[in-house]
Amino acid sequence: MSSVARVQVPEGQGGSGNVIRDSALGMVPEVVESLIALNGAVWDAGELSPAEVELARLQNAQFTGCVMCRAVRYDVAVADGFSEEKVAVIQEGADEAVLSERERLIVAFTRQFHLDPAGIPASLQADLKATFTEAELLHLSMAVAYFCGSSRCAVALGGMPESMPRTEIAITR
Amino acid sequence: MSWIVQECSSREAIMARLPQLGEPFLAMFESLWEQPHVPGPVLELCRLRMAQLHRSEGDQAQAVVPVDAVRRAALRDWHRSPLFTEAERACLEFTEIYAMDALAITDAQAEAVKTHYGDVGLVALVQSLGVFDGLQRLGLIWRTSKQEA
Repeated sequence: MSSVARVQVPEGQGGSGNVIRDSALGMVPEVVESLIALNGAVWDAGELSPAEVELARLQNAQFTGCVMCRAVRYDVAVADGFSEEKVAVIQEGADEAVLSERERLIVAFTRQFHLDPAGIPASLQADLKATFTEAELLHLSMAVAYFCGSSRCAVALGGMPESMPRTEIAITR
Repeated sequence: MSWIVQECSSREAIMARLPQLGEPFLAMFESLWEQPHVPGPVLELCRLRMAQLHRSEGDQAQAVVPVDAVRRAALRDWHRSPLFTEAERACLEFTEIYAMDALAITDAQAEAVKTHYGDVGLVALVQSLGVFDGLQRLGLIWRTSKQEA
């Protein structure tokens, strides 16, 4: 893991007030606006609650190794009741008993997405279909796919701190 | 047919069932091919190489940008093939490490990409790989793309 940023954001870029557009990602203007739109849609336009999306995002971050992604908590999820005892299940291997059945399945799906997407067992498929609506499953799937890419992107561009305290932030729209 | 939406057999058709999310996702994929910093044919080689690593038949069969059949056939063995330029080799090596473990990417591998495409090219490549990886995994977990044996 590189703690040194691998790209230099040009002087003069920034100041828009949008942390995505003002970051290195804003160096590719042809892409960044669609990225900002997708990021907003993941949080605003789906069927899962913000706390459920946050659970998937943090489980995703365990696989990508993104220190910042693991430290961040989105304010909408905290306001929705997302708690640190659920983070402990993901980050410290605490007892899954604190998770609801829906939450347990969100974690299971996200793990499957990273470890062996093609090998999703029929039992997990059946449990997901029995518990979530079609729209919820599509939201979960595409949110995890987005988080997978955005989190690895942060890692690949370097500049990752060795550690970072829990930090609550707002959604970038 | 997919287990997640039984009447759909393609990833794009399934994504269209939730357009408020599927449309911006596909719009981002389209935007990757409009950026000028990494040429489309190079991105296509990286997309295809990632599909090989995921063993995703559907994504290997897809052709977003035309790639010469001989080079396409040689892609699996690009390390030893003379058919790929230094710029393509830098991007393919970066792609392979990204696909396996983004934490394992070295500064030298990132510098190799920047040598050819600059800082902005590295950002464009990383953005592209994130979308390719996410979409290919979606195809596999939804079972709209078979995995090679």
